[in-house]
Amino acid sequence: MPSSQTPPAGATALDPTAVRPDIADARVMRIVPAELQATLRRLQSDGFSMLLDIGGVDYPGREPRFDVVYHLLKLPQAEATIGEVGQPQRVRVLCGVPEDAPAVPTAVGLWPSADWAEREIFDLFGISFTGHPDMRRIQMPDDWEGHPLRKDYPLRGTARERTPRPSFALKSNVAAGTPASGRTAMALQKQIAQARARFDTHAAADGVAAAQSGANSAGAATTAGEAEPNELAERPVNLKSKDNTL
Amino acid sequence: MSTSVVPETAGGYHVDVVESDNNRMVLSMGPQHPSTHGVLQIVTEIEGEVVTKASPEIGYLHTGIEKSAENLFWSQASTVIERMDYLSPLTNALCYYLAVEKLLGIDAQIPERANQVRVLTSELSRIASHCVWLGTGGIDLGALTAFFYCFDLRERILDLFESAGGARMHPNYIRVGGLAQDLPAGFLEQLDGVIAMYEPRMRDVRRLLQKNPILQDRMIDVGIIAPEEAVAWSLTGPVLRATGIAYDVRKAFPYSGYDRYEFDTPTRTEGDAYARFLVRLDEMDESMRIIRQVRKALAEPGPWQLTDTKFAPPPKETIALSMEALIHHFKLVSESFRVPPGDVYQAVEGPRGELGYYVVSNGDNRPWRVRTRPPSLYNLQVLKKIALGELIADMVVMIGSLDPVFGEVDR
Amino acid sequence: MGLGGNSGGDFLLTTVDSVARWAQASSVWPLTMGLACCAIEMMTATAPEYDIARLGSEVFRASPRQADLMIVSGRVARKMAPIVKRLYDQMADPKWVISMGACASSGGVFDNYAIVQGVDTVIPVDVYVPGCPPTPDGLLYAVNLIQQQIKAGGRGGILARA
Repeated sequence: MPSSQTPPAGATALDPTAVRPDIADARVMRIVPAELQATLRRLQSDGFSMLLDIGGVDYPGREPRFDVVYHLLKLPQAEATIGEVGQPQRVRVLCGVPEDAPAVPTAVGLWPSADWAEREIFDLFGISFTGHPDMRRIQMPDDWEGHPLRKDYPLRGTARERTPRPSFALKSNVAAGTPASGRTAMALQKQIAQARARFDTHAAADGVAAAQSGANSAGAATTAGEAEPNELAERPVNLKSKDNTL
Repeated sequence: MSTSVVPETAGGYHVDVVESDNNRMVLSMGPQHPSTHGVLQIVTEIEGEVVTKASPEIGYLHTGIEKSAENLFWSQASTVIERMDYLSPLTNALCYYLAVEKLLGIDAQIPERANQVRVLTSELSRIASHCVWLGTGGIDLGALTAFFYCFDLRERILDLFESAGGARMHPNYIRVGGLAQDLPAGFLEQLDGVIAMYEPRMRDVRRLLQKNPILQDRMIDVGIIAPEEAVAWSLTGPVLRATGIAYDVRKAFPYSGYDRYEFDTPTRTEGDAYARFLVRLDEMDESMRIIRQVRKALAEPGPWQLTDTKFAPPPKETIALSMEALIHHFKLVSESFRVPPGDVYQAVEGPRGELGYYVVSNGDNRPWRVRTRPPSLYNLQVLKKIALGELIADMVVMIGSLDPVFGEVDR
Repeated sequence: MGLGGNSGGDFLLTTVDSVARWAQASSVWPLTMGLACCAIEMMTATAPEYDIARLGSEVFRASPRQADLMIVSGRVARKMAPIVKRLYDQMADPKWVISMGACASSGGVFDNYAIVQGVDTVIPVDVYVPGCPPTPDGLLYAVNLIQQQIKAGGRGGILARA
């Protein structure tokens, strides 16, 4: 499981697309939704005849919040041998979509394959594509609420996040976790002492193994009563041992 | 055509009753159906046996892999990413790790042997995946013998994955900087056995199927795709190459040393299911050609992992001896490595086409976004077009020839 | 499981019952409920190396009406769960369910919004097979356990009710 340690603030980028590492994977362009149709049409007539992929990304801290990422490939359209195909080029078009107006013109008119990709972005991010012939969910059931790939959508889903983990997940033979310290340790020790005192009182009243429990209770009472709070804080707790020895 | 939709409940199930006065019937093929190659539902409107409209419905295997990957470390995310295209898991892992290595800036430093083994596993995965395609495609047509022959060949390949990586499917054998571990002793002999078995087996399979009049009758002129259509519908892989455009990511954007091996890119021009069938068979032969070249190179030992312990765990023997090694190992396991911010698109030639990952890192120890470019999704979409006016039986052949894997389509 | 107190009749019905159980156990026909990666290993179990046919599962039926055993092989997405339930309902009694793989048994690697955390939240399961994916050997063992369950009685038998 991922650890709970969070990275130091300031080491992470709010807009990773602004950082251009030295990777020659594609020529990158950033545009706004208003110029999307014109840009895609121009690129298509330039020879970028294949739409590789349309994807969505969510950057919650950034304005505009979403990115719709188009990858295009320059590929000959007729039959072509390896020599004619040559070294194709890729271009990446990043279209920033604001959160309050998550709508983008559709690319279905230019490439029919944009159909399902745009439906998926609508389904998982909530960005709708104006002019799309069939704008409905594709991956999630039709009556699903919420857009799962948004960063504020919980991983386990809204319903399951509210339900607690099954109880057997909390029980274990091994005393797990970091031992308590400070005030928690003090409180814990007090609880243990009280619980033991109650148990020992009952045992004494029953007269069962009085000598055994008497010795223990004497020890426990002494320990609980005489130890300083600070000492208790330093001493780790072992819930399994009777007299709290490690 | 007059229609009235009257939702009824029958025994707790919601039923749509559509009344119409022509001969059209709406038939739902799937999502549980023997010949849909997975959980695909095709809502077809048919007149008799002729399909007048086919709309595939997907999402029945949506697993939220991309969201899971955002909550796992960079090195853990490959466990879920491998489960996308489950017929060639190491291809997914390879593409993902190539993207991560590009972001880390170490892609040029991957050791030679690691690249060779990566190429070996990619090509073995391609053959294994095409074995499943051929076997299940044969079942669709009623040719059950092909299934048994192909799956036996696949078993030998899965044995190789098991001995190298530990598991038949999803071995998680490829890691950042190289491999999880070196090839075990005896692997190369085992590989030689597979290489020796391949040729006679494929000869048998070709003899069974290639000139078989029934197969030819059912596959020739079925699902014809023209090259312009293929580009417009974003088809890649054998489907595109069967229309005549020789685009292969291994040649166009070489990775892992593919430019050093000699292999052809088989293409056809007819664009029908039979052309796709022949292209895939030829591709298997080309893969075996690459494997033979890699086998020669693998005879010499060498490093299989980057020694930089910022990404790769130190050798297990050193952990008990060196404090530094122990600390590095601990750090890698408990909080993994951080990838500098940036985004990258990396593609490989998977058995189905161009498999790509658009990976975004914001500097954290977990991916910010892993967007998959799923070849099967785009390949499957063209079914909406090529099934029109065809028989239902032909539609079954078309799905088989497009070879979709729903772990990838739905993710 | 006899009708009336007639010991002779009981003996006859018990014999018929045990013959019926033997017949059921020797011909458990699975439903093709292949969802994801585990489905490939399920298909491999029908291939010559592992050959599930020798256990009696000669044919995998596509129609739930004709199948005894539903092998839920693969991750069950939220969208697919009602369909799994419908298919289970359509199967005729007596029927058994193998939950193959970690995803079908408990959600597996995918503890997220999209995957049902165990198909046993949707349908009752008789045998769980761990693994991701389990080897075909595991599936064969699971079918063996189903056969043992059938022979031991409970949900099997000509007179037993599910």
